[in-house]
Parts: sequence; C-alpha cells; structure tokens
Amino acid sequence: MSATNTTAPSAPKEGATLRDLQGEIIKNAIFITTALAILILIVLPVGSLLIGSMRGEQGFSLDNFVEAVSSKLTRQALLNSLVLGGWTSFFSVIIGVPLAWAVSRANVPGKPLIYATATLSYLSPPFLTAIAFVGLLAPNSGLLNIFFRDVLQMPELTFNIFSMSGLVMVTTLHTFPFVFLLAASALKSVDASYEEAAQILGASKFRTALTISLPLVAPAILSGTLLAFVNAIALFGSQAIIGLPARIFTLPTRIYSLFDYPPEYGLASALSLLFVGITILALYLQRSFLARRSYVMVGGKGARPQLVNLGGWRWAVFAFCLAVTVVAIILPYAALIALSFSKSWGLNFWQNLTLDNYRFVLFEYDVTQRAIMNSLYLAIAAATFAVLIGAVVSWIDLRTTMPGRKLLDYAAIIPLGLPGIVMAVALIQFWLAMPLSLYGTLTILLLAYVGRYVPLAVRSANSSLRQVDATLEESARVLGASWGTTMREITLPLIRPGLFAGWLLVFVPVIQELSASILLFSSSSMTLAVAVYNLYETGQTERVAALAIINMVIISIAMLLANWLSKKAAGRSPSDPMGVSA
Amino acid sequence: MAGIHINNISKSYGAKSDMPAVSNMEINIPDNTFLTLLGPSGCGKTTTLRLIAGYLEPDSGEIRVNGRLLSAKGNVVPPERRGMGMVFQNYAVWPHKTVFENVAFGLMIRKTDKREMEKAVAEALAMVNLTGYEGRYPNELSGGQQQRVALARSLVVRPDILLLDEPLSNLDAKLRERMRGELKELQRRTGITFVYVTHDQAEALALSDQIAVIHEGKLQQLGRPVDVYVTPANRFVADFMGTVNMVRGEVANGQFACKDFTLSGVSAQTGAADLVVRPENIVLNAADAGLCHARVLDRVFLGNLCEYQIALASGATLRVQTHPLQLLDQGADVSLSIEANRCTFFAA
Repeated sequence: MSATNTTAPSAPKEGATLRDLQGEIIKNAIFITTALAILILIVLPVGSLLIGSMRGEQGFSLDNFVEAVSSKLTRQALLNSLVLGGWTSFFSVIIGVPLAWAVSRANVPGKPLIYATATLSYLSPPFLTAIAFVGLLAPNSGLLNIFFRDVLQMPELTFNIFSMSGLVMVTTLHTFPFVFLLAASALKSVDASYEEAAQILGASKFRTALTISLPLVAPAILSGTLLAFVNAIALFGSQAIIGLPARIFTLPTRIYSLFDYPPEYGLASALSLLFVGITILALYLQRSFLARRSYVMVGGKGARPQLVNLGGWRWAVFAFCLAVTVVAIILPYAALIALSFSKSWGLNFWQNLTLDNYRFVLFEYDVTQRAIMNSLYLAIAAATFAVLIGAVVSWIDLRTTMPGRKLLDYAAIIPLGLPGIVMAVALIQFWLAMPLSLYGTLTILLLAYVGRYVPLAVRSANSSLRQVDATLEESARVLGASWGTTMREITLPLIRPGLFAGWLLVFVPVIQELSASILLFSSSSMTLAVAVYNLYETGQTERVAALAIINMVIISIAMLLANWLSKKAAGRSPSDPMGVSA
Repeated sequence: MAGIHINNISKSYGAKSDMPAVSNMEINIPDNTFLTLLGPSGCGKTTTLRLIAGYLEPDSGEIRVNGRLLSAKGNVVPPERRGMGMVFQNYAVWPHKTVFENVAFGLMIRKTDKREMEKAVAEALAMVNLTGYEGRYPNELSGGQQQRVALARSLVVRPDILLLDEPLSNLDAKLRERMRGELKELQRRTGITFVYVTHDQAEALALSDQIAVIHEGKLQQLGRPVDVYVTPANRFVADFMGTVNMVRGEVANGQFACKDFTLSGVSAQTGAADLVVRPENIVLNAADAGLCHARVLDRVFLGNLCEYQIALASGATLRVQTHPLQLLDQGADVSLSIEANRCTFFAA
C-alpha cells in the first residue's frame, strides 16, 4: 500500500516516501510499546504468580497447592466464598428478574426509578454500603436493632449484620443489577410473536411466560447470574468489613491475611490461582450461555411485546420495587449522612448534630487530602492509559494481519478473570523479583488499575472500531495520507465516542477501587477507598461516615464531570458515517 | 366451522385519534371461506387481523364468531380462549423447541393423550411434507420449512379459523408460488375459514374466495377476485389491483367523450368522468378501424406479452398489452379499440 499511494499523480514522490517511512517507524513504535505494556501489565505478573505458587523451599514443588487445599482455614475460606457467591447469585435473580420483567413487560409505574435504583446500586462502592449497614444493623449499636429491641420491644426483629446472611444481603445490593440489566434487555428483545403464537394455541399468560418467554431469556439470566457470582466473590471491602468481625473468612480476606508478617507469598499465590480458576470457570460458563442467547435476537421484524396490564397488582409490584430502592439506596445513604453529622450514634443522634466529623476528616486527618488527590490522579491516568492501550490492541486485532495479534487480544482480556486482590498478589510477586522498587508507590497502583481494567477499554474500543468500516481508512490511504494522518483524521474522530465511553468505564471503578489497593498502598500512596477502610478499622464510625460521604461526593462530581466531558467530546465528533463523507 | 362477523370495528393507537388504524370496518366472512385482507403497508390490515385474534381491544364495534361475541370495548375474549390458529410473518417457530415440540405444543395445552398426540403431529407434519424432521431445531430448517412448521403447528389443533399474517412474504419467489398452491389446496381440503393478510395483489387474486381491499383503515371493496379486479369500486382499488389507464372525459347519452375519441355503449352517470381501462383491454390494430389513431412510443417485450406505450393525438399516453407475437415497431401508426363493458367509469 505504501508503494502504490506514491503513484498518485499529485503526490510529491520523494517527500511521500520519506513520510511513509517515518509513518511506518511511528506505527511500529506504537505497536511495540503497546505489546510491551500488555507484557508488563498482565503477562509477566500472571506468569510470576504461576511461578511463585510453584516455588517451594528447594525449587519446584506443589506444596503451596497442597497446603492451600488441605489447610482447614483455606478450605473454609473457599467454602465461604462459594456459599457467598451462591446465595448472592440466588438473591440477585430473585430481585433482578421480577424487576426486569416489571420494567420491560408490565404497566408498572415508576420505571425510571427502577433503572435509577439499579444503576446507583451498581455504582455505589460496596464497602460504603457495608459501613452504612453496620451503622444500621450492628448487633448492639445498629440503629434499626436498637429501635426494634428497645423501642418496639421486639427483639426477634433484630438482625445481626455480622453474619453470612448480612454479607449476602449487602453483596446482593451490589450484584443484582447484573441480572436485572441483562434480563431486562433480553425480555425487551424477545419477539412478541413467539408469545402470541403460544397464546393463540391456548396457552394462558402464565403458561406462555413459563414455557416460551422464560426459556428464551434463560441464557441472558444465567449469564447475568454468573457475572453476579464472579463480582460477589471478588469484593474485598464488604467481605472484610462484615465478614471479619463475624470470623467469616473468604478467599480475598484470607489472601489479605497471608500478607500479615511473615508474609506467605507462595501460599497467597496458590490461593490466588485457585481463585482465578473459579472465576474463569464461571466466566467461561457465562460466555457459553451468552453465545446461546442468539435466539433472542431472531426477531427484529416482529411487533414489540405488549405490556401486561396488571390492574391493581401493579401497585404490589411497584411496592416491591420501592422496597428495593429503600433498602439498596435510601436506607444506606440516609444512615451514612445521619452518622456523619452525629456526635454519637444512637436513637437520639439528631439531638447532637455536628460538623465536627467533617472538620476532622477534612482538616485534621492528614490522610484525606492526599488520598483525594491520589485517587483523582490515579483514576484519570489509569483510564487514559487503558483507553490508549485498548485502542491500539483492537486496531491491531481488527485491521492488521500481524502474527500474534490474536494472542495480544487474548492477553489483554485475561484480567477479566482476575479478582482485584489477585491482581495485587501478581504484581507484588513480579515486582519483588525486579531490581526496581515499586512497592508502595503510586506507580504500582497505576499498573494494577490499568492492568485490571484494560479489558473494559479493549472491549469498548473493539466494538466502536468494528462499526467503522475499514474502507474509510483505506480510502484515506489511497488519497495519499500516511498511517498517522489516517489515524488522526479518520479513525480517531470516528471512534472517539466509543473511546470516551471506555474511559468512563475505567474511571468509575478505579476511583473506588479497594480490592487491589488494599495490598499495594503505602501511607504516601493512600487512596480514598483505602483511607475510608483504614479509618473504619480504627472504629471511629461517625468520622468514617463523614469521610464516606466526602468520598461519595467526590465520586459523584467526578463521574458527572467525566460524563459531561465525554458527552461534549462525543457530541463534537460525527456520529454517522454519512456526516463524514459529506 | 365458523363464520366471522366484523361489525363496525374501529381501533386507534395511542393519542392519534385523528388517524385511526381501523375505522368502521364492516366485513362478513362466511364459513369455509378464503378471505384476504389486501392493502398497502400501514393500511390497517394487520390491525384488523390482530383484532380478530384478540391481541387488540377495539375502541368500538364488535366481532362475533358464529354469533358468539368475542370482542367489544372492555370485553375481549383473550386469544387463548378463541380456538383460532395463527401463522406469523416471521413464522414465530420457537427456537428452543424441536419441530415435534413446536407442533405438539397446542395439543399439550389441550392435554391430549400421548399416543393421540404423536399421531396427530405425524399427520400434521405429513400434511406439510415435513415427515422425518421431528427432531430438528428451527435453526436447522430453511425459511420455507419453518413456515410449514408454523402451519402444521396451527393446523394440528384443528382450528375453525386460521389467521395468516403475510405468511409468504419472507420466502423466495419460486417457493412462494408453490406454497400458494398448497395453502389454497389446504383450505379447500380442511374447510377451515382462512383470513389471510397480504400486500401482494397477485397473491390475493390467486388465493382468495373473497378479497377485502383496505386503505387508510377503511374497507374499500369486498368481493370476489374477479369483481375487485374487473369492476373496482373506486380509483384506489382500480389502481392497487393492477396497472390502469385513466382518461378524463364527459359522459352523456350513453357515450363517453374525450379529446381523442368517443366511446358508445356506456352506462354511467352523466357528467365529467374518468374512464379506467386496464392495458390488456385495449386492442391495437394495424388497420384503420377503431376508436382513434395512435403512435407507438415504446415497446417492451416481456415474453408472455408485449407492453406498448402509445401516444394519442392529444398527447395523452396509454399503456397497452398485446399478445407477444403482435410486434409493432416504434413510431408505427396504429388504431386502437376499447369495449365499453371492459371499462369502469368514476365520476370526476
């Protein structure tokens, strides 16, 4: 191609050749840098995790795995994680599927509220929800428990949050949106004629739902359930805050405790690999279910499903939705806000309202301001790097025939199967063996974040690049544009909305990341989430709440700002290919 | 068996009450009839079908089957209790069920005995030439085969009424032709009342006992195919049913007079009128013996016929179809003749 475009009559031959050469060099430099980044961020750390887990006292051994499986503590942690994941998935379905059905098939009022609830539940940092529910349902000091026990004199209504049930509840509030969103979109896209055909043959509405609709959307529901499972077992924050006081160890908290002095790197690596195995198995199942989803898309031409008129029942369904909103959003946030303004938490908290907690965390707790700056810097940097890497990786995958491009693509999505704490263990293993001392710096946090969330960036770049036909790039090259010019003038403007979406997709989880940070931070590289968790461990509940609220405010402002920026940026670029050719 | 009475039905969607999807529709469908609802897309034919099926509630009017009230405002027997069959445009063959399971579904709902069910499914599949496909899944079938599964699924429960929503529109031309014949034959053999929706007038002509031409939510004409084609009730029907020539003129004393010719033997209301004549009803003669002279502008040889574009003295052009071997050269001077009883007249 570089040879042919110089034959264009108007192109200055000498200059074009030189420019082409320059372009090739830049292009290859970008490719190599990206490949190296993937190597350092993902392949080598995961590799050293493998090696580390198999290194015994005298060279190669499987002792770590034997210990991981035979130790009672570890076995219990594994079992607890599976129990937690199982129940969380179950309740995610119980909550997610009816809500999905309500918004997509029934004339239930308040549909925007249901979507808002699901979105907010997903975006709320799970450790904040956990802290809020500790304030409400801790056995002695929990406000609701005090109310039931002392005011209503009904101790049977009290609930101990420090239990597996409590952990399942708090986790479900974060994971049900996975089931909800997938099920709702599947229910909406099932062709109405499938159901109408069953009806005209004599099947009642209920029978139709059971024998036709449910089997058609089952792959989507199962897929959402497995995502809920994978996410549930990976959450360090809620499992530490609620599980540890109850002496319920799970895989993330068990791995975390292995880093207490003396650290047991080998065992931690082996356990991490076990963890990865479970996650990857679940994700593999999820993918194969999703592949079977193809038949939801069959429709297209058919009519949209008609909404079921529930009559008076719609208020009952609405009440259920409202209950979810109250438990998932209103209760925890109200509790956090109330906690943050009270001098001492209790039934009479409203008599001594104070701003002291905020004054303390903002101005006296010297960690806070540093943590805010660190988190913002890390989120912006990580999102930017991840998107750059994602764009190049998917461009290489989709537009070149370079050998190993598929390998690069696979490597870039490995972290999907890595829980945050495992990513941290892998990075520690790798960088400990390097001459460069990164432990405890912002850099290692940045590496962890970019590596962990690069799959999200790859996927969003990939899907937007797929929508840009390769001929749009080729026609620029034929007109004599170099590779760099083509990218700058054609490709990047066209995929910019997708890139911004990917940027947000990385930014949002990074700014509240705890699972990996908890093993990697130092006092100088403190992040917001870690600051909240550390303060919580000192037991100053009211001050934690104040910090948590500040955390939420910063997250919200950052997300709104990022959202606004990306909309603005996306708006500037032409969304339809026709606009480009005009 | 069953006759359907659609009595003054109206239906509009949402707040657009100014443009109802169906307004004051009045159709009587006798028992054992193949009736086609024909019209361009968006004319209300599918809405009418869905009203009959019970998926929609009418705003006013009623639908009765054998005198039994099935649909009225606020009083709709749901589809599952109407005992009808329906074949959808996109087949709606359930992708997660095998051919056997698809066809057996209605029998399962009716709690049919297992052996009887197997026999009935086998019969239904034989009827649509799909014996041997019982274990296949829909994604292993071609479009035409899926279409037959949908048919068998509807027929196996022996409905009195079968509703078909453009069932052939997704098939290729050859298959469509064959399925047409099979559908017609099936209706005759079973005696089921077919209500068939299509926008294809040739399909409607070939299949139907009765055609209801619908436009803008209103019934334009109801009649046998030959009636609708030969004596259209209005300009829309005339135009929709096939190619027409329209000539503006004046009717007086049993004669139609326009700039180029005068046609006698006309029995139409006196006054300004349009003469409507189909291309195949105009005869071209080389000899000087007809209504008037014309010049051949263009000739298109189509194999089974020849289509001419001819110009009259006033400059008006007509389309004429002749036997393919009547080959006239471009620019040739011809005379044309038209018989009044093969024309329709609409007051202008």
